[in-house]
Amino acid sequence: MLSALLAREKSAIGLASWLSALSGFLWLPQAALVAATFSHLLLGEGGVRVGTGVLSFLGFAALRLILNYLAEGLLFRAGQAIVTQMRQEILAREGQNLGTSALGGPGALAALAGEKLDALLPYITRYTPAQKRVMTVPFAILALAFWQSWAVGLVFVIAGPLIPVFMALVGYAAKEASERQMQEIGSLGDLLVDRLAALADIRLLGAAPRLIERFDRSADDLRSRTMAVLRIAFLSSTVLELFAALGVAMVAVWVGFSLLGELSWGAWGGGITPWAGIFLLLLAPDYFQPLRDLSAAWHDKAAALAVAGELAKWQDHEAETLLGTGAKRAPLSGPATVRLSGVAVRRGGRKIIYPDAEIAPGQRVALSGPSGAGKTTLLRLIAGLDRPAAGTIMVAGQPLSDETADGWRARLGWMPQAPMFLARSLRHNIAFGAPLSPDLLSETALEGVLKSLPKGDLTILGETGGGLSGGEARRVMLARALAARPDVVLADEPTADLDHETAERVTEALLALAERGATLIVATHDPKLIAKMDRVIDVAPAGRDAQEATHG
Amino acid sequence: MAKLWHIFRLMMRGEAKSLWRGLLLSALVLMMGAALLGLSGWFIVAASAAGLLGTGAVFDVFRPSAMVRFLAIGRTATRYGERILTHDATLRALTRLRVTLLSGLAKRSHERLIRLRGAQALNRIIADVDALDGVPLRLFLPLIAGGATQLLALLFLSWLVDWRVALPIFLIFTFGALAVLLWGIRRARVPSRRAEAAAQAFRTRFIDLLTSREDLALYGQLPDQSEACLSAEARRQAAATATDFVERQAGAALMVISALAAAVALWIGGDLAQAGVITPAQAAIGFFAALALMETVAPLRRAVAEMGRMIGAARRVIALTEGALQEGQGADPELSRATPVQLRFDQVGFARNGAQPVIEGFDLSLGASEWVALKGPSGVGKSTVLLMAAGALAPTQGQVTLNGQPVTELAPGTVTLVGQRAALIQGSIAENLRLAAPEADDAALHAALRAVALDEVIAAKGGLETGLGPRGAGLSGGETRRLVLARALLKQPSVLLLDEPTEGLDHPTAERVLAGIRAALPQAVILMAAHRAEEQGAADKIVTLG
Repeated sequence: MLSALLAREKSAIGLASWLSALSGFLWLPQAALVAATFSHLLLGEGGVRVGTGVLSFLGFAALRLILNYLAEGLLFRAGQAIVTQMRQEILAREGQNLGTSALGGPGALAALAGEKLDALLPYITRYTPAQKRVMTVPFAILALAFWQSWAVGLVFVIAGPLIPVFMALVGYAAKEASERQMQEIGSLGDLLVDRLAALADIRLLGAAPRLIERFDRSADDLRSRTMAVLRIAFLSSTVLELFAALGVAMVAVWVGFSLLGELSWGAWGGGITPWAGIFLLLLAPDYFQPLRDLSAAWHDKAAALAVAGELAKWQDHEAETLLGTGAKRAPLSGPATVRLSGVAVRRGGRKIIYPDAEIAPGQRVALSGPSGAGKTTLLRLIAGLDRPAAGTIMVAGQPLSDETADGWRARLGWMPQAPMFLARSLRHNIAFGAPLSPDLLSETALEGVLKSLPKGDLTILGETGGGLSGGEARRVMLARALAARPDVVLADEPTADLDHETAERVTEALLALAERGATLIVATHDPKLIAKMDRVIDVAPAGRDAQEATHG
Repeated sequence: MAKLWHIFRLMMRGEAKSLWRGLLLSALVLMMGAALLGLSGWFIVAASAAGLLGTGAVFDVFRPSAMVRFLAIGRTATRYGERILTHDATLRALTRLRVTLLSGLAKRSHERLIRLRGAQALNRIIADVDALDGVPLRLFLPLIAGGATQLLALLFLSWLVDWRVALPIFLIFTFGALAVLLWGIRRARVPSRRAEAAAQAFRTRFIDLLTSREDLALYGQLPDQSEACLSAEARRQAAATATDFVERQAGAALMVISALAAAVALWIGGDLAQAGVITPAQAAIGFFAALALMETVAPLRRAVAEMGRMIGAARRVIALTEGALQEGQGADPELSRATPVQLRFDQVGFARNGAQPVIEGFDLSLGASEWVALKGPSGVGKSTVLLMAAGALAPTQGQVTLNGQPVTELAPGTVTLVGQRAALIQGSIAENLRLAAPEADDAALHAALRAVALDEVIAAKGGLETGLGPRGAGLSGGETRRLVLARALLKQPSVLLLDEPTEGLDHPTAERVLAGIRAALPQAVILMAAHRAEEQGAADKIVTLG
């Protein structure tokens, strides 16, 4: 999964890794020049003069800096491109899915699309170039070391390979810890999104202290899991540093004794020159440096693997999708008839079989039945939000399908039972960018409501319409349903939560629309509303036979 | 910067000991690093000088090489300790900050609370707090430890080498690093803040898309909302790229500074050595120490990139924590269950900031076992009366008292209000019920469900452990309504406030629920906003508003 993610930017990442390795290689001549300068100082002859040494030191430093700068830029852009592309993919798929994902609710998904995807970046910008450096730079240093001294070479050969072995062991633990940390991030996000939308009610129940306590525990849990990941990361880099430090110290001691003339073994042909000694000492830390970089980035890899695992889980989950794309399309042509034949759905463990029915354009229909009988589901089926398990729904003379659903919905007005508000102005929540007509506001008795809000129709409300009363929120939903002058209005309990007078107004607004020829399909318990409909379709529970009654 | 210092001090509170130790260890790591490299350089060069002179036999190799080993191992161990200490302290401070923020949110006025959006809170409590981990880890601790190390290096190098080597190293590092820091912050501040703002906008819009996708699909708005998410992502990417550009430039500038310091050390040291003022080995100390001191400025690169994001987050977090302290009240008195209650409204009025009063001159007195229904057209202030009775809204005139005590001074939840849109949470049915009564056993939960005619429905769905989706998804409107009522009954309140409790219920169910409430709370005062005939019928007394 991880390599598949990176495949899209493979060449950029490859190039950048080589540039970064090249920058590592350039330390070799740079170190040689520094050593030569000191050798000149010590011997008073040969080597490189101070001025030349300083200038060439700066020259190589500049060259390495430029290479690093380019490599970092390439890696950052590649990482950004991968993350953005993945975000787009998540967005495209989640836009079509219904219900909760394999990972959890909106909070968990937002965490995946947000901070968790960002966790791929350090892997790309830090781990991949470090990996390339590990495979190249130490070998060159090893060769140079053997050229000058077999003893130093031997130290490198022994200390070097211990590191990857140890890291593999650490990596296994790090991956598991990272996965647990990622899960905790997701569930903390879900906890917050869900609980905070209900915070007003939770406080009314006096349960706020308990919520805070529970959150405290979860947040502390996340902290300890993050700390577990960091502990492993820190421990692994400490062990590596220890190996590196011991390796460098052994080289330093050998070089020191050799230069003093106390040791006569380890170098080809007896002793080493001051230049070689200083050169080897300068190279020794850089033999271990790429390995240390890699180990410092090791938990980035573990985190990226955990994210990739979650992405794979998310991709494998087959969610139910809505019909069509949810885009604005030209309305489906033809008279707005609705015909149900043999429609059935599964809800939980039970099967709901709906009565066959044909609804002609302009008809006023009530869907009735006890609570939980499947009235809302039938409205959702007609709107193309749910797929029936059996049977067909014909709309405007065509079967409701992925092809026709968007065009069909362009003719619909929709009034859900639970109002939901976007984090945008009230105006946008009603007409989605179109201007609000005064007629619409008076039909739905919203003028007074807009005036009483702090910022009028530019107010941003809570997710479920917090800031409005239940009746006001419902009237906003009504205004939204009527705004586009639809041919068919689907309304779920439109008069619930309303006092007699407002219920009357809502009913009138709906009937006025029907007067102009629109079809009205209403799920309701309200006997007064039912009485004003042309017919009633009884949605019976648990597969019992449905009955139909016709008024007048 | 003042905001960041404020946040840093806020984080230090309670973690001061760990952070001080961490700071000490950070400085120690840097100093040991400089000492290690300086000593090694000296050792090699001095050893070769001694070897060349033939005085190798009297050269003391043991103490310096023991010192090298001690510094190498000591530095590694110190670094481990430093990292664990500072990270643990920072994460603890962040966790505490999150909890403080949540408490701050929970203390907001009811009016503001109902408009609170989950995504917005997520941005504050998760994203903003996450952004602040850099304040100690990548800004203040490295700055202080780095500054101290530079000062110490100035002293030691002046003593061991020559002030003409020590001073330029010190000046190049400190002034260079400060210049880079200020220049980088000035340039990166805006894009870094924008990147965070765009990331938060993406989160808000994406959560909106997920929670409202069915409504959006119906109105053909789904691609538009996706587009809005994508445009936030595009803005974030552009701002992040701009920030990265400055970050890389700052990184490059810091490398230039380090290279310059090392080169100058080599140059001046080399000249002094050639002039015989110092030995080549002393010149090596200067050069190698300068190489090691690079570590003191390297962390500033990330600080440059994150500054805008940190400042923005600090500003929002401080505003919220200060709110928490202001609105915070001491422990509230809990009402004793045993005493009979008396709920009184005395000339109560409410008006929103100078606007037309929603209600004025309202008088009402209710005693135990009394059930009063409020009726009147929409917008006449029924819900406002209930909110004032619950203490969620402070009246602008008059007073609501319970047994003589103003209800705004009672602990939240003493008076139980079931609002029109009382919300459920994700979790099991039992979890939702136990929000009100954490100690209640299953039998009590079943009894409450039976009282609202929901026991059979829940049993058919799989019992108390049946899981609900976000915001209680999985129940119909009427079922949600009844579950919320059952939850309120579990609290066994002495005052129960109901806002149109049977909305969305069919006639027989509504009757059963109302009877169930009465039976479950025979002693309670019940005040109910009602417009259905069933509801008005259940009350002992009807008060008409407006």
